[in-house]
Amino acid sequence: MKAIIVDDERLARKELISLLGSHPEIEVVDEAANPDEAVEKIEKHDPDVVFLDIQMPGKTGFEMLEEMERVPQVIFTTAYDEFALKAFEYNALDYLLKPIQPERLTESLNKVNIKTVEKPSKQQKLGSKDQVFVKDGDKCWFVKLEDVRLFESDGNYIKVYFDKFKPMIHKSLNALDERLDDRHFFRASRKHIINLGWVESIDTWFNGGLLVQLKGGEKIEVSRRQSARFREMMSL
Amino acid sequence: MTKRKIYWLCQLLGWGIYGFIQVFLYTVAQGFDTNQALGVLYQVVYFIATTHFLRGLIIKREWLNLRLSYLIPRLLIATFLLSGLNYGYLLVIEFLTSTISRQDLMFLTVLINTLGYWVIYFIWAIFYFTFHYVERYNKSLKAETAAREVELKNLKEQLNPHFIFNALNSIRALVDENPRKSKESITQLSHILRNSLMSDRKKLIPFMDELKTVMDYLALESIRYEERLVTKFDIDRNSGKFMIPPLMLQTLVENGIKHGISNLKEGGEIKISTTVKRKQLHLQIRNTGQLSKEMHAHKGFGLANTRKRLELIFGSTAKFEIKNEDKNTVLTSITLPTIERSMLEID
Repeated sequence: MKAIIVDDERLARKELISLLGSHPEIEVVDEAANPDEAVEKIEKHDPDVVFLDIQMPGKTGFEMLEEMERVPQVIFTTAYDEFALKAFEYNALDYLLKPIQPERLTESLNKVNIKTVEKPSKQQKLGSKDQVFVKDGDKCWFVKLEDVRLFESDGNYIKVYFDKFKPMIHKSLNALDERLDDRHFFRASRKHIINLGWVESIDTWFNGGLLVQLKGGEKIEVSRRQSARFREMMSL
Repeated sequence: MTKRKIYWLCQLLGWGIYGFIQVFLYTVAQGFDTNQALGVLYQVVYFIATTHFLRGLIIKREWLNLRLSYLIPRLLIATFLLSGLNYGYLLVIEFLTSTISRQDLMFLTVLINTLGYWVIYFIWAIFYFTFHYVERYNKSLKAETAAREVELKNLKEQLNPHFIFNALNSIRALVDENPRKSKESITQLSHILRNSLMSDRKKLIPFMDELKTVMDYLALESIRYEERLVTKFDIDRNSGKFMIPPLMLQTLVENGIKHGISNLKEGGEIKISTTVKRKQLHLQIRNTGQLSKEMHAHKGFGLANTRKRLELIFGSTAKFEIKNEDKNTVLTSITLPTIERSMLEID
């Protein structure tokens, strides 16, 4: 499988490459010394896994991921960062402490093996198997889009509902709507995008609108204009 | 409970017990006598009043701060005088109640009674001073613990694990690439670690020792950052006689790299220079980067700590300043006085 190493230190990259030497199944396709370079190379190669340093010039590894639309599987590498280690609340693949222990590296790589069974689709739109990186305050999550029940706009932010969390991301709902695959996500109203896979029940509502209840318990009104489309989609 | 309340409680309880024992013993020996009991009551009241006066004297004259060799004679004299007065008071009462006898005025009786009171006053003083000494000891223990905690926190900050593990990681890669350099790096890292661990024992170290540690530190950072870190030194040859708090220069240089150079894609330069003018050491650290307003406001732990340490050791004779020198340089400057021998002996 393909890997990219992102670290601002040449020697740190070299050390990791030499450690990966004993894992012939891993092919290091490229290296990047800063986040900007990294984004470009990740988009170009679409690697299975990215080894990402957290402290880098210009931007942290977290900030880089936040700006990416579709994030790859990430293994963080850091020398010592209590804050960073506490940050992973949900679904982080793994992190490695430098200098890296070979056994820990093997463990991490095993986690990648299992996950790559379902490779992210390379289609233009974001599919349900793609994951996004969400950071809210001190906490970080890697979230598969299929796990997201609802996007709710709140001023300049969007609340992302999954599991028992609803962190905020700085984005507009319209921009997000354009990027999401409309076979899985439906724009219910000016304020909401729902995941069709999470719909529990549908009731009629005032003025020819609909009220959708999600499996997480949220009740979302579908505007009258969108209700016709929604009926059409669900009846198919 | 306030100290005042404790004091009064002890006074009443202590003298109460004293009075009770007096009456009790007399009753056992000769049966209860109202006059005797009344006499004891007068005595107790008198003792309370006079010891209260003694306490006032102790506080006013700050006897608690005296050395024992000064304190004891003063206490002996004061309590002796009080004892004499006490017997005089007794005689006055006896005179007024017409129970005075010739025997009461005999030298031996006067002496024995006065000495008896003296012992009682002295015991009171022992209680009083013991209580305060114990309390003071507890307080100083607490203060010392607090100081140690601060020190430990400093030490943890100064050990900077992020730097140590990154350095170890770089050295690991260097073993294959350049074995000789990797050996050198291990020695440099050991030097730094040793210095960090020893630093808490000394208040000040020779400037040149500190500079040597910083040079080792920068050599290690250069391995990490490679062409992204340029280091320059311009050291006045007279700098050697100055003393500096351990790890102070190191912390500042680390800050310059952490907040300045490490954030720049292209890296930058750090320059350490010293000049000696009018018996003062002017130490300047220039690093590429820019102080943000935010950082100015925060005045991170490191900077506040540096300022405090300088103030504690040198008072107002040392100066510390950090500012943007131009659009891409941060200048940190410290002015240190020549240290007098007496200051070195404080610790």
